[in-house]
Parts: sequence; C-alpha cells; structure tokens
Amino acid sequence: MNKSFLSLILAVAGWAVFHFGLFPIFTPAEPGMLINRYVYFLLFCFYLIIVNVGMKLKPAMALRALYVWMLGFYFYDHILSPHVPWTLFITYMMLWTIGTFLYISQDPVTFREFRAPIVKTIIGEYKLARIVAFSVLPVLVGWATYQSIYPSFAEPVELRTVHPAPPASTKVHGKTYMLEKISNPFRIDEQDNYKDSFPFLDADKQEYMKFVTEGGTIFFQNCHYCHGDQLNGLGMFAHAFNPTPANFIDPGTIAMLQESFLFWRVSKGGPGLPNESTPWSSAMPPWEEHLTTDEIWKVILFEYWYTGWHPRTFDDESAVGE
Amino acid sequence: MRRSTKEDKAMLGKSRGLNILPIALFLAFVTYAMPGLVGDASAKEAFAEQVFAEQAFAKEVMAEEEAAEGEGEPEIEWSQDVFYKDFEGNPLKGPVSGAPAPELGENDYNNYEFAPSRIILWIANQQHLYFGSFVLAVPIFCMLIEFVGIRTRDSDPVMSEKYDRLAHDLMKVSLTAYSWTAILGGVLLFTFITLFPGFFKYMATIFRPVMHVYALMFLAESGVLYVYYYGWDKMNDGGFLKWVHCSISVLLNLIGTVLMYLANSWATFMQAPGGIDEQGRFLGNIWHVIHSTLWNPVGIHRILGNIVFGGGIVGSYAAYHYLTARNDEERAHYDWVCYIAMFICIFGLIPLPFAGYWLMKEVYAFRQQMGITLMGGIMAWLFIIQAVMIGLLFFGANSYLHNSMSRVQGSQRYMKYCKYMVLLLIVCFTMWMTPHTIVMTPAELKEMGGAQHPIVGHFGVMSAKNTAVNLMITCTILCFLLYQRSNKKITVPWATVGNCWITAIFIGAACNIVFLGVYGYFLPANQRVGLSVPQVTSTLTTLFAGTAINISMFKDSESMGDIKWGTQSKVGTYAIFLLAISFTWLMGLMGYIRSAVRLFWHVTEVLRDNSVDAYTLTIGEAGKMLTFNTLFVWVQFVIVFWVASLTAKKGEAKAPDAVPVPAQQQQ
Repeated sequence: MNKSFLSLILAVAGWAVFHFGLFPIFTPAEPGMLINRYVYFLLFCFYLIIVNVGMKLKPAMALRALYVWMLGFYFYDHILSPHVPWTLFITYMMLWTIGTFLYISQDPVTFREFRAPIVKTIIGEYKLARIVAFSVLPVLVGWATYQSIYPSFAEPVELRTVHPAPPASTKVHGKTYMLEKISNPFRIDEQDNYKDSFPFLDADKQEYMKFVTEGGTIFFQNCHYCHGDQLNGLGMFAHAFNPTPANFIDPGTIAMLQESFLFWRVSKGGPGLPNESTPWSSAMPPWEEHLTTDEIWKVILFEYWYTGWHPRTFDDESAVGE
Repeated sequence: MRRSTKEDKAMLGKSRGLNILPIALFLAFVTYAMPGLVGDASAKEAFAEQVFAEQAFAKEVMAEEEAAEGEGEPEIEWSQDVFYKDFEGNPLKGPVSGAPAPELGENDYNNYEFAPSRIILWIANQQHLYFGSFVLAVPIFCMLIEFVGIRTRDSDPVMSEKYDRLAHDLMKVSLTAYSWTAILGGVLLFTFITLFPGFFKYMATIFRPVMHVYALMFLAESGVLYVYYYGWDKMNDGGFLKWVHCSISVLLNLIGTVLMYLANSWATFMQAPGGIDEQGRFLGNIWHVIHSTLWNPVGIHRILGNIVFGGGIVGSYAAYHYLTARNDEERAHYDWVCYIAMFICIFGLIPLPFAGYWLMKEVYAFRQQMGITLMGGIMAWLFIIQAVMIGLLFFGANSYLHNSMSRVQGSQRYMKYCKYMVLLLIVCFTMWMTPHTIVMTPAELKEMGGAQHPIVGHFGVMSAKNTAVNLMITCTILCFLLYQRSNKKITVPWATVGNCWITAIFIGAACNIVFLGVYGYFLPANQRVGLSVPQVTSTLTTLFAGTAINISMFKDSESMGDIKWGTQSKVGTYAIFLLAISFTWLMGLMGYIRSAVRLFWHVTEVLRDNSVDAYTLTIGEAGKMLTFNTLFVWVQFVIVFWVASLTAKKGEAKAPDAVPVPAQQQQ
C-alpha cells in the first residue's frame, strides 16, 4: 500500500478514536493538571508523530502540510476553550497558514515536493484525484456561498455593563438611603487595622471583629452556595448560572466599588438592576427580603475583611472640583 | 575537502572587513543609544547643568549690554521654557526673542477643490521622505561595499572588482534618485507655503537659521556627491586616491546625516517642542529648539530604518533582475547582489525595534497622555497593524535565510531545525499580535464570559508582547548564525567548548526572556516597564556574543562546498519583494502615527491646527492613503531604476564580461 495513503488512514482513524473516545474523558467538569483538553491535544500530536516517524511512513510533503494546517485548525476551533471570537480566529488561522507555508517553502526541494501532487492532479496524472477534486471544489464553493448569504439573526448589540451606575438613592426596608452619603455603620476602623487578626478566636475582645464574625456567619448561611467558601465565585451552584457569581477575590469586583454600591446591589439583587445590565442579568435575589439592613452591612464588612480589599472611598478632590 | 578560501569568506560575509565593520557599527550604536535607554535622566540633568551655565552667562551679558545702553531702553523679558528644566527641576528661563504662536484663522489656510490640503501635504511629505530615505541609505551601502572591495583587493582582485562595480552601479541609481528627491522636496516646500502659510510662517520664524544651514548643507551634499560619483574611475588607482575616494563617501554620509537631523528637528519640534515658552515665543537658544527631546531617538530610528528600506529596494531591484535574468552569469551576479542587500537589510532590521522602543519611551517621558494615545487610545489599532507588518518582515527575513541556506552545501545539518524555528516564530507572533481589546459579537462575548479571553487574554499585555518579540529576534539571530556556518566544518580545537557556549548563551537568553516576561505579570506597571531593559540586553547578548564566538570558530575551518550563486529559490526571491513592500507600507504607517498623534495641534500644545482638516482619519481611510503612497513611490522607483539602466545598457554591449564571474564559479 502507498505509505502516504496508509499515513492518511492512520491519521483520520486516530483522530476519530481520539476525538470521539478520548476527548470526553479529557474534558471533565473540573479539569485537572493532567486531565484537560490541552494535554489531550498534545497526546494527539504525539500520536501523529509517533505513528509517522515510528512506522517510517514519510508521508508526502503536501500531506504533512495538511496535517500541520489541520492541527492548527483543530486547536483553534475545538481545543482552545472558550471559543475565541471570529475576528481573532481568522487572524490566528491566517498566521498558522503563513507558518505552514514557511514550513513547506523552507527550501526548493520541500516546496517542489509540496507542489508535485497538486500539479499532477491538475494536469491529470492522478486521474481519480482530479475527478474528485474538481467535483468537490464547486460544491465547496457553492456551500460557502450558501453559508455566507443565508440570513442569520445575531443577538442585538447591547453590551452588558457589569457594574452599572447605581441610582442616587435606594429605599430599603422603608427607609431611603442617599447612596453618596451613606457608609458602613459597622466599619469602626477606616484603615482596616484589625484585618490580620483571626475573628473566631478574639471576636469577643474586639467589637470590629465581632461584626466581621457575624457577617461571616450570615455569608456562610446565605451567600457561599454561589459565591463560594473562598469568596472566589465558585460556589457549588455557581456553574448553573450565566453570568457566574461575582468573584470577590478579583481586583475588578468589590475592590473597585464603594460599600454603598454593594449595599444597593445586595439589597436589590438581579431584579433591581437597570436596563444597561442586560442582555443577561444577575440571578442574585433581592436580599432585603431575607436579611435586615444591619445584616447586609455586616456581610459587606466580612467580604472586605476576608479578601483583604479596602472599599473604594469618595474622592474628596473631585468633589471639591465639582 | 579543501580549506575554505578567502572567496568563500568574502561571499558569506566572513572576510575581515565585513565581519568587523558591522560589529563595530553596532558597538558604536549601542554606546550611543544605551545611555538613552538606561541612563536618560542623568544625561538630561548633566545637559541641564550646562544650559544653566549658558543661561547665567546670557543673563550677565545682557545685563552688561543693558548697562552700556543706559536707561530708557526697553527691558528684556524673560520667560519659562515649556520643556527644559534647570538642575533643580524648575523650568529654564530664557530671553523672549520672538513673537508668540499665532492663533490661526480661516485666512491662514488655502485649499484646492479636488482634495483636502492635509491629504495633499501628506502625499508630498511621504514621497519626499521615501526618496530621502533611499538617497541617504544608498551612500551608506556604497561606503561599506567600497570599503570591503578595497580590503579584499590584495586577496581577491576579482571579488574586489565586483564589489567596486556594485557600489558604482548603486551610486548611479542614487544619483538619479537624488535629483528626484530634491524636486520632491521643492514640491513639499511649496505645498507648505501655499496651503499652510500661517503655520509655515511660524516655523520659519523659529527655524530661520536652521533652514539656511539646511540649504547650504544640501549644496555641500550635491558637491560631494558629484565628486564621489564622477571621480569614481579617475580615482580608481588602487592606491592612495582610492582611499581618498572611499573617504569622500564617509564625508558624503556625514553630510547626509546632518541634513536628515536638521530636517528631523522640525518634525520633532512639532511633536514635542522645547526652547519656547507656553505662548510659543522663541527663547533665544536655537540649539534648544533643534535638540528637543525626541530628536535623538527619531534620528537613530530613521538611520536604521533608512538602511533597512534601502536594503529592501536594492534587494528587490536585484531580485527582479534575478528572476528575469537571461543567462547564468547574470543570475549569479544578481543572486549575489540580493545576498549583499539582504545582509545589510537584516542587520539593520534586528536593532530597529529597540530604537523604536527608545523613541516610545521618550514620547511617554514627554507626555504620558501622548504615549497612551499612541499605544492604548485612538492609535492603538494602528499599532496592531504595525505588529502584523513587523511580523511579516521577520517572516520574510527568515524565509529568505532558510531558502538561502538550503542551497549551501553542508546546510543539511541545520536545515532540520528550520521547522522548529518557524514554529517558534509563529507561536511568538500569535502572542505578539493578540489584541487587548477584541472585536466581537454579543454572542461571542457571552461565551467568553467577559471582554477578556481566559487564556489568550493574557497575551494582550506588554509583558507577553516584549517576550514574544525578543524571542522572535533571538530566533532570527540563531538562524543567521546557522546560515553563517552552514558550509563550514569547524576545526578549531575548542569547537565543542565554543558550541556549548553558543548553546548556553541562547538557552540562557531564552530562559531569561521568558522568566522576565512571566515575572512581569506579578509586578505593578511602573516596575514592569523596567523589565524590558534586561530582556533586550539578553537578546543583544545573543547577537554580539553569539556572532563573535561563531566567527572566531571559523578560523582554519574546512569548506564543505561552494555556494552556488544563481540557484536561489523563487520563494526566497519573492520574500525580498515582500520585505521591501511591507517595509514601505510600514514606514508610511509609523510616520502617519507619529505625525497624527499631535491630533489638533500643529505644534503640540502651542500652535493649534484650526483648519478644517484637523481631524484624525479612520483606520480604513488612513490605510488607503498608505497604500496609495506605497504604490505611488514604487512606480517612481521603477522609473528611476529604468532611467539609471539606460546608461548601463550601452556599457553592457561594449564589454560583455563587464559582470565579473563570481569567484565561486572560477575554480
């Protein structure tokens, strides 16, 4: 049998086994250091190399180029997760194609080898290949044309604002709060000097840590199912939601927000978000229906204490400027 | 096997002249640029001390004059400089010696019906710059090639003759291009005067003496150029006169560089002015106005850019003749010319990004906002396009090296590594051009869970970019070293030690670059910026130490076979066209970015652009203009080369063996 043909069969069969057999195994819900999709891809690359080198198949240059190109395509289209946007995908594939071309054109011999089967197909030396290629090509072009002119209905462009501007005031438990003016009534020390002490040991000694401990209790009774016991947004229900619950460890969440913002956000939950937070809104319930005002403030205190962040404060200078 | 001959060395650029000269040039460049890269602050302070003394002296003299003239004379007004500071950090003061920058109105701008003034000026400027760049680069080439020719005269007269002929032929093209450049300069000047009279009047008031010196230097350049070109045969006595002739080329290059620096001062003043006060009044020191903060980095960047640009054009000229050659001799000759041009071009290309970094650093130091507008604001996507173009340059250069290497006997030992180098280049380039902000649909945004991709999103920052580009350059250097040794059998007793050193240097540099790149993610931005210096140092170490060790190992080496000139593959030849065209486009792009970052200012923060054209073009429109300028200049290059070839044909008919047979084919 032609060795190149054998190589092609082994590559396609190997891919089928890998893709349908091994891929599901390597993509569990929680990937590990070894069991993940990237290790899977490396294994598949090794398989291709071992089969071709070990069996001394020396496939034709055109076939090798095809392998290289397809590996890139497979990686960007299927392995890299989540999908990269289309514009980036096109860019990456363009680069990969240039790389493949550099590989085949590194010297005149490899380039000639690469061209040989293509030329032979065109001039009719490979009759079957010519019939297949010239029959399939128009179909492919037709399919691409159909795909491109088939109307598609994309989601309307409405970018979601993760941290929308809060209203000027909010009404919680019958009392109206001016968000710009309120602060956490339990934040005794602005500088967070207690943050290094351990609340569950000396809670009774320091008032601040007592509030933090109470806040922690409320957090673990209500919030940690989604926001996680490490406050990293990976609670047991987290994977069921889109968007995922906020990760308080991330410097882009509570670290850049004021406590009053959190107060409003916790009290009103997902239903209280303004329109700009669409197209997909938060699933968080309005906690004012379940917690008291004090409890909400204590939870907020705990979140800052646990993560080590300091809430954003009002900028005095800009206030003067206005 | 036979001993490697001098011809081999000359052909591969291993002769002493060609070895030492580029390295010496590089060292000179590094000594010049390094203080700017690492110790800029102290340099400026020292300079400030000097100007402080000057200022005190000026004050004294003026006080004396004042005393002599007696009372009743108007007092001299002193004002603060917008840029220069004394050594205490206070703005430097100078005597007001000019009128404030005017507030330009409708009457200060003229226009034609058919196109906006700004576009016309852009085309005139760009065409003049392209030609100026070429005309400045070619004498550098000729100087190097003629010098190598003189140095190889005793050892290899045929090669020497070949080098000399090549330098002469290039000069012939340069001569036509020179007058063309002057004409385009005239067009540019008239465009300024007629379309932007108000702005030009202000510039002329400040730069009046510089403009006159510029014109006189032009005269000197012409004189030296004519003596150099027309005296070529007469001074070719093989002895003292030839050395004098070669020295004239040094003078020619010196004058050319001064010319370019003088013209640069106008552009750098517009972008980052100094020597004037807030109202735009000249403060009496012309050197301050010339030597504004961006003057040096722009000058260095342009010199290197000119060399690469000139190499690209000469290379593509030779590539065209190579592809259309009718006999083997011609093919061999032009293959060799391609090689020489590419050698110089790639040598200029490697340090070019570092000069660019230096320029950007100075831009940030001048006004952080200007830097952010460039790298993170409205110009950011143009920088992404720049990244693509630079990648193309590196691909083109590597493709040429791989293809050139493949026709050298003995290269099979190294060709097997080419594919891994290509893989490294592509992976690095993928990192290099992954944008920070991605264009995407809402559905894609939703799938990613945010504006940043959890994996490739990490590549959108400077830590990744610096790492990628340094690895790409290191890889190109490695490829170049392998090319150098491809037909050598190393025989020095310390070959193993030498190879180990080269390997260690490259692996060490790569590890250092990657480590610093990853480390950068854990540092705040102001500290992270500092990491680029050791990264660049690692890369430059591979270049200098690697090349030095590599060349030292060639002593008494055995040749595994000759280079068969005239057997370059077509792909490698087309890579030269890719390089040349990409570079032309890239030059236009970066010029546009540098100029457009002034936004609505003629002179940043001093002279406002009040014309109807004071807008920033969309990326697409700018791209169209760049493409037009590229096509336009290439049409002109074709004409210039054609004109220069008219005289060559006559000579060719007279002496069929005017093109010497390459030394490789003589044995």
